[in-house]
Amino acid sequence: MLLIAGTIPQKDMPLIAGPVKRQGDKLVADGQAFSRIQGTGAMISAALAATEYMGIEPPYVVVAGDIGKGDGTRLMYRHLTENIASLKPDVVTLHYCQPFMNLLTLFVKEVEKMDKPPVLIADAGAMYAAKAAGLAEKFDVFTPDPSEIAFLADPAATHPAYIAHHLFGSEIEDVPELITAAYTNKSAASVLVVKGARDYIARNGSIMATIEEPNVPVLEAIGGTGDTITGLTSAFVFAGVDPVEAGILAAKSNRMGGKMADPTPATKVSQIIDVFPEVFKQYLCEWSGICAVPSKGDK
Amino acid sequence: MGNNGKKSVDGGGLVIFEDVSQAIQAEKVLRAGGYEVKLIAPPPKYRMGCDLGVVINLVEKAGIERLLKEKDVHFMKILSTTEGAAELISVVKTTDYGKWLMIKAGNMKLAFEKATGIIVNTSGGGCPDIPYLHAEMVDKKLTEAPKPSELGYTLCALMLDRAYEEALTVWNGGN
Repeated sequence: MLLIAGTIPQKDMPLIAGPVKRQGDKLVADGQAFSRIQGTGAMISAALAATEYMGIEPPYVVVAGDIGKGDGTRLMYRHLTENIASLKPDVVTLHYCQPFMNLLTLFVKEVEKMDKPPVLIADAGAMYAAKAAGLAEKFDVFTPDPSEIAFLADPAATHPAYIAHHLFGSEIEDVPELITAAYTNKSAASVLVVKGARDYIARNGSIMATIEEPNVPVLEAIGGTGDTITGLTSAFVFAGVDPVEAGILAAKSNRMGGKMADPTPATKVSQIIDVFPEVFKQYLCEWSGICAVPSKGDK
Repeated sequence: MGNNGKKSVDGGGLVIFEDVSQAIQAEKVLRAGGYEVKLIAPPPKYRMGCDLGVVINLVEKAGIERLLKEKDVHFMKILSTTEGAAELISVVKTTDYGKWLMIKAGNMKLAFEKATGIIVNTSGGGCPDIPYLHAEMVDKKLTEAPKPSELGYTLCALMLDRAYEEALTVWNGGN
């Protein structure tokens, strides 16, 4: 099971848990529809596009409405902490949520009790909390953007809004130094997929790959184009791809999707997600050897 | 009431809150009351993960406490120290995409169309109100969109507010 947990920007939306499917312009789980636009919805949509293409089990989602007050975040963590042992997921990806360090700590403690702990992936608020709570090394993959890798590199910062100015001003050429600092400070997951003008994939302090083509600069302005990389990485890891290779495939797919969508800064991320099946069809076999699409339900 | 005549934050005092939105509200109330204050990260032992405090001149503690209570702004306590507190990022960058301009403040970005002032995208950040603010702000004119500091609750919203204010300044300057 690929379990994706995060909040949805919808007031009064209850906790929803179950396998997800797409229905028109919405996502549906446990009979309830929610937006696939932005944030966790965009991340789930990207993961779903990849699992559908590969013919594997769709993501199981745990989502709750939260517009910034933290109520949905609390529901999400409570459900995860109480049910993770029985759900027995292979991969868990945590995404948009209030960075509550105490709730993440309780969840990670439950994960550590499991006989076969899942691969742990974090982005967004969950990654902020993991770093701030000193839990980064418990995670297998983080997917930071350039300002977030500066945050991971700054030992004093508990949120990207508080990064030291000399680190925040860093250019893309400085990312390798920030990656080194993040590992030195024990603020990095085993694998980092750093999303930016040039994507860096690192493992245990060493840069394993960089991806910079095709170069589509306007992607930086489009909200959700980092979330899609996290979703794709999660799906590829769930398919059995090594996390470094999964990060590379996700970065390449995202860039190619961006190119094929021919975006402007006004493009919505859903338009890019919609071209992923075509990207996979044209390139995934060449890039990864994932060529034959297995029958539904196989893994 | 107020702080007429004083134009800087000498500091020495720090108001801490249960959540970011209360700190943003307090800053607004105190500035309107004539106090010079500054938003800042509380010292580590008071942080839960997404926190914001307001630096005050400690000598003004009594008046500030009274004003916050009068305006029904809830706070946890007022510390007589700012040791361990951290500054918010103040770096703002602009990227020109031809018909569009992107303003980046901290980790948050806002893009708008130059000809119309319509917000076409927001990106960055990882707190739950960011996708919410995206839905509420995109496709609206800068002059008509809700302010992130009034609708949001987190530090990401605060940084998006800075990008929004800068975009508004650029837009107003060009028209």
